[in-house]
Amino acid sequence: MPATFSRRCLGCLLLLLLCTRVSGGTPADSAMTTQDSNQTEVNSVTKMQAEHESSGPAVATEKLKPASKQNSQSVSEHEIVLSGAPVEKSVSVPSPTKVELTCKLDENSHLKDPQVTWKKGSETISHTSKSRNSWTIQLTISDSSHLGTYTCILKGEKELSAVFHLQVPKIEGREKPIITYEGDRAVMVCKTEYNPKAWIWYMNMTNGTGQVSIDKVLPTDKFLIKRQSAKVSRLEILKLTKEDRGVYWCEASFDLGTSEARFELRVLSFTAPLKPFLAIVAEVAILVTAIALLEVYSKRKEKRGEKESDQIEQLKSEDVPRRRK
Amino acid sequence: MPAPAEVGRAPGPPDGGWGWVVVFGAFLSIGFAYAFPKGLAIFFKEIQDFFGTSYSEVAWVSSIMLATTYGAGPISSILVNRYGSRPVVMFGGLLCGVGMVSAAFCTSILQLYVCVGFITGFGLALNLQPSVIIVGKYFLKRRPIANGLAMAGSPVMLCTLAPLNQFLFENFGWRGSFLILGAILLHCCVAGALFRPIGARTALVKTPVTEEGNDALKGKITEDGPMENRTEEEEGKDCFEKINQYLDFSLFKHRGFLIYLIGNVLMFLGFFAPIVFLAPYAKHTGIDEYSAAFLLSILAVVDMVARPATGIIANSRWVRPRIQYFFSFAIAFNGACHLLCPLASSYTGLIVYSSFFGLAFGMVCAMLFETLMDLVGAARFTSAVGLVTIAECCTILLGPPIGGILIDTFGDYKYMFIKCGAVMVLAGTFLFIMNYYNYRMLAKEEKERKRKEEDPKSVRTEDEGKKNWNKDSTQDGPELEPLREKGERVKKEMNGTVEV
Repeated sequence: MPATFSRRCLGCLLLLLLCTRVSGGTPADSAMTTQDSNQTEVNSVTKMQAEHESSGPAVATEKLKPASKQNSQSVSEHEIVLSGAPVEKSVSVPSPTKVELTCKLDENSHLKDPQVTWKKGSETISHTSKSRNSWTIQLTISDSSHLGTYTCILKGEKELSAVFHLQVPKIEGREKPIITYEGDRAVMVCKTEYNPKAWIWYMNMTNGTGQVSIDKVLPTDKFLIKRQSAKVSRLEILKLTKEDRGVYWCEASFDLGTSEARFELRVLSFTAPLKPFLAIVAEVAILVTAIALLEVYSKRKEKRGEKESDQIEQLKSEDVPRRRK
Repeated sequence: MPAPAEVGRAPGPPDGGWGWVVVFGAFLSIGFAYAFPKGLAIFFKEIQDFFGTSYSEVAWVSSIMLATTYGAGPISSILVNRYGSRPVVMFGGLLCGVGMVSAAFCTSILQLYVCVGFITGFGLALNLQPSVIIVGKYFLKRRPIANGLAMAGSPVMLCTLAPLNQFLFENFGWRGSFLILGAILLHCCVAGALFRPIGARTALVKTPVTEEGNDALKGKITEDGPMENRTEEEEGKDCFEKINQYLDFSLFKHRGFLIYLIGNVLMFLGFFAPIVFLAPYAKHTGIDEYSAAFLLSILAVVDMVARPATGIIANSRWVRPRIQYFFSFAIAFNGACHLLCPLASSYTGLIVYSSFFGLAFGMVCAMLFETLMDLVGAARFTSAVGLVTIAECCTILLGPPIGGILIDTFGDYKYMFIKCGAVMVLAGTFLFIMNYYNYRMLAKEEKERKRKEEDPKSVRTEDEGKKNWNKDSTQDGPELEPLREKGERVKKEMNGTVEV
């Protein structure tokens, strides 16, 4: 049954509507930034459950929410709950601050009234007991000598221990080599969670004289250093040549020290990916031609078969009326 | 001249032979279309650093690609209606290749949007729909198996592309990888070369009745070949009829199609979000990155097995006539998995969830196009798939961001899972109820038709019957005809239960 004109118009309108509806949604990964964006500048207590790490000591990095004021009132607290296996924890200290480290005994643990010692290296530190099952030391970190490894040891029927590594914040680089091409530009991005005082980039000179600061070399049409934000530094190397390959270092200096990240740059010529590309294109061309030839061949066979069957049909049909007569 | 007994309906689809080669081609093509956008995620961090953009700006590339692949569905359908599957797929493959090769030379993120997002996305759209369409043309009795096998291309390609992309990235950087991926996408042209046009098989039967049948078929395009013998007809038709020849808008009056459309549009709101957020959720519960990635691998492997298995089950004697119920059950099962996910907090629980999710996901995907073919028939499937994909396009893109908003607002992943689960259970129930109603109406119409056929004016009605198959009023696709003998008993049973 043919539809009426108005219904067809409606159909057209629907198509137009569907076409003009902008089909863009915000990308799906907004949730991935949830944890990053929720950082608040408040001191917080973090707990570490030791049950997960059943196989040997585990190292966990903890995100210290940076204190907004560098005065004596800002204290960051860190706690480890012990229940069985030894636990290690890394604490990043970007600037002089007061730190409180606590070892807490899990309620389910069988250890009763243990003897508690806090040590840095071989030196014993006096501690206080906050509650029946937790013991705390308070430290004032004012220079890099105060950073290091602090251990709390609980001695009873068993011996349990927890280790805090106080260190300068680490910065992220790239472990795998960065691959770029001649004539293109290379970008190396250094990130950290905290605000460093300064960023310095170094490169290894190819004549082996060690590290040279790029600031000193700096022809500005070749090297560009941008500080995208306080926490991110970006080195761009333009107009790459083969000589630019090698190792680059990014150094962030904090109040209490510096930390480094390493980047390896590899510069390829454009013929490197071109060879596999041409090989694959050739393979595709061969396959398509083979399939086309196969089809032509089988069609010819079919036509020949058809002609034969047609002839047989004709003979049969001529036969029948003759027989009828 | 052959005896009149041989005259009648055109011979059905081959259901085998070259059809399996076509299924392999569709496997490749569909695999690329679905897996390629997901596989690109490996390059995003590097591209983000290179162009100095935020992560969401880079993620737009994937979104644009997905939107174009689904949104260009109607264009794909129109082209297939006009030129057939083979040229469209080969052109699509070429377009994909060109898109990725030009992306290797891009100097800004906007250019990437165009090259990777639009051009490659459009090429993939020209791959996806024709592949599904041609599988429907080559198979009838074994169509669910063929569909299940073809759709299995997606997880297989994903499992292949992910490590391949990683390897390419480590050895050639993102530019070299895009260049090589462009060459790899050219394999879609190979897949297209395998899509031999079908439909001209009626050439063997040279009878006047068949010619009349061809006249009846002129009203709607059914053949895969070009339209030379119909050009005389076209002059007399008005604009809307012409558009209808390319894209069948009368489908919006088709009851089954509308049910499918509404149910699917609803389902896609909650379909993809859990996959996107599975790894972040695992990391959120304290699982390390590699184990979280392993969950996705489990999902892909279970998916790979589930799709052909579902095809085989859907093809069985008991399920095939009621395949719509099976589909609704699969969707509801999927929803139930998501609703139970928040209860799984340990790693073992998440592994169990991933396995069941992979199973449910595979079941739904394997039958996604099969059920549409079952409802509208192979003849109108070409247009149907185009219209369905453009409608789904919007909800597919909305699903993950809505999930993301829920996660951000409540700070907890469980609300996202609950939302997805609820939406899918709702969609499954809706489809179940509406298909029950649809089966009843179909059974009634079947009875009507049978009564008309038994009328003394039998000669006219036989031809009318054939013509009726391709007209708007008929809700049943012509493809069920050969199955009717098998399904007759089952349908009578259903009729019996329904009437009571």
